[in-house]
Amino acid sequence: MDIFANLAHGFVVALSPINLLMCLIGALVGTLVGVLPGIGTIATVAMLLPITFGLPPVGALIMLAGIYYGAQYGGSTTSILVNIPGEATSVVTAIDGHQMAKQGRAGPALAIAAIGSFFAGCVATVLIAVLGAPLTKLALAFGPAEYFSLMVLGLIFAVVLAKGSVLKAIAMIVFGLLLSMVGSDIETGASRMAFNIPELADGLGFATVAMGVFGFAEIIRNLDAGAEMNRDLVQQKITGLMPTRKDLVDSTPPILRGTVLGSILGILPGGGAVIASFAAYTLEKKLAKDPKRFGRGAIEGVAAPESANNAAAQTSFIPLLTLGIPPNAVMALMVGAMTIHGIVPGPQVMQKQPDLVWGMIASMWIGNLMLIIINLPLVGIWVRLLRVPYRLMFPSIVIFCAIGIYSVNNAPVDVILAGVFGLVGYWLIKHDFEPAPLLLGMVLGPLMEENLRRALLISRGDWSVFLTRPLSAVLLAISFGLLLLTVLPALRAKRDEVFTESEN
Amino acid sequence: MAETMGHSATATRNTKVVIGFCLLAIAPQIFEFIWSIGTIFGWGAGRGPATVLISHATALVAGAPAALIGAAGGETKKASSDVLLALIYSYPIFAVAIVTMFMTVRSAQDYVGGVILMALALFALWASSDLQGMRGFSFGAGTAPRMFGGLLVALSAGIALTGLLTDGPGMSHYSWRGPMFVMAAILFFALAIRPLGLVVTAFASFMIAATGSHETRWLEAAIVGACLTVGCALLFPYVLGLPMPMFPRFLVQ
Repeated sequence: MDIFANLAHGFVVALSPINLLMCLIGALVGTLVGVLPGIGTIATVAMLLPITFGLPPVGALIMLAGIYYGAQYGGSTTSILVNIPGEATSVVTAIDGHQMAKQGRAGPALAIAAIGSFFAGCVATVLIAVLGAPLTKLALAFGPAEYFSLMVLGLIFAVVLAKGSVLKAIAMIVFGLLLSMVGSDIETGASRMAFNIPELADGLGFATVAMGVFGFAEIIRNLDAGAEMNRDLVQQKITGLMPTRKDLVDSTPPILRGTVLGSILGILPGGGAVIASFAAYTLEKKLAKDPKRFGRGAIEGVAAPESANNAAAQTSFIPLLTLGIPPNAVMALMVGAMTIHGIVPGPQVMQKQPDLVWGMIASMWIGNLMLIIINLPLVGIWVRLLRVPYRLMFPSIVIFCAIGIYSVNNAPVDVILAGVFGLVGYWLIKHDFEPAPLLLGMVLGPLMEENLRRALLISRGDWSVFLTRPLSAVLLAISFGLLLLTVLPALRAKRDEVFTESEN
Repeated sequence: MAETMGHSATATRNTKVVIGFCLLAIAPQIFEFIWSIGTIFGWGAGRGPATVLISHATALVAGAPAALIGAAGGETKKASSDVLLALIYSYPIFAVAIVTMFMTVRSAQDYVGGVILMALALFALWASSDLQGMRGFSFGAGTAPRMFGGLLVALSAGIALTGLLTDGPGMSHYSWRGPMFVMAAILFFALAIRPLGLVVTAFASFMIAATGSHETRWLEAAIVGACLTVGCALLFPYVLGLPMPMFPRFLVQ
């Protein structure tokens, strides 16, 4: 089988000592930063992006992938132990996980989270390997019009899955698109909205914007919430890491269901991991014989969302690797990392750089294995890290971010820009705008504009090309239908219900 | 009784918002003016403060209305960039500010958020107004920015409208201490990294940022800052191989 040959090749690449080391460092550092409360996955990846610049491309991407799921795992550790979800995906884990921790069962909760994530990671890895090649073939049938429509669909998905006002989410995407146009025009080379600032001629660095909007803004916001964040850290010593036989039996079906749900939702563009964990939790609650146990330390409430978000986190690599379209903000950062290393993500990557693609896929599995081996013994250290007071943590994060941004281009102006975007991000938070669609819009902007222009050039200015090409028409119809459904009151209520799950 | 009290509360609130919008409407002009003061001392290039002041004032008071009347009369004279700024950016925001005076804002969070976003979109429209538009059926450099700028104006108007029509949260509280010191630390870092090097800059920025929280203990912060500085000085240049100046330039030479 082709797939197995490819996977085997991937393992050969990923198991080379240097890549193994990259994977280990990535997973460790990712967990380390992800554990810090208030720093989500996106901020972690954005912050750690510069440290991969000096590496060869394969190593860098393996390390970044490691950072990504490390951060995700770190986030669930924080939500179980301290009840501060580091990121949206582990919000639901906090509900039951923290209750379990309070009952002295933090060990089993952490173990189940790790086991669930690992299992989901295994399934998702195989899924990527299986779906990768056929989807690449599909991608070759895509012309500019189809690409444009697909990106519209992705952005609409981001809107549907964003919480809060639909209008605001769309506005954020368009704002992101607008920001992406700063700099030189691809075709004519004209300088757009750069105000003769030489550093803007190349456009706004998306790492700069991400670090500002997610890193600095988060810090500022945490500061004014008062450093006296309610941290009811689980004080008693964590004993008995291993779950009981009953725990394992109870959590097997939720892990399976969560994995399936997460894998499907992850492939869809638009921030699958978040909705996957919410959906998995809701599903378990609906299926449970005694729904009252949820919110009081039900192990299913930890197992299902954790496996769902990990499955989604991994399958979201599929659109990135096959179509070159980042389905969520973290993948958008990955695109940035690839571009920095001179790799253009898309269908060609699979053929031209099999080492990179398959090595990365194999390293995902290895990374997950490492997480389970490393993290369970290290829980004690993570807990100690959580006791570091915020008054010492935030200046360190500021400095670390500043050095990171500076090192991207050795440009002081980038640091100032990130600071400005930090203020913008603070303003966005205050007015209840979500920053994630903004970043997605910003990354998709140049791709979208290019394909729109190309499609119209080929069709000689005929806008109907998007509707007459069947694939494009279908994609647009789906996006329109989705948007319509989101606005309809019945479904809206349902969607709000999913997102308010964490509050009751 | 309760009603009148509520009414007077929104009235005072509205005045503040209106004044804020008016300032927003001339924010780019004010920014350029402050920027231009630097040219007196020989920093940066650009117009002097007097020229900036006169040119914007005439554009706002005389140029833009004249251009408007001219356009109504079918005249197609190319307007200067200052006049365009007044026309595309300032006037619409002033108009919004005036409208605000007669409105009851039911959700200040949405309304103010929408209007500021609209200001950003209008500003982008102005910034891309000098770019080439469609050439036949091919896009010019300015087509896409104008398209998305226009779309954003419409969307943000929609958000502002929701703020007028539906009840929602009011303005949330902005604190100044955290943002100010964190920004100061970032700014200091950006300005000092080249001349002063990583060691001095990282430590100083750490201390500036630490000032942003009222529960900072100085000795503790200084110790942690020093450790962090040493850590960064080893990590970035040596372990990760990122070139960076380490010590102040005047000490090295």
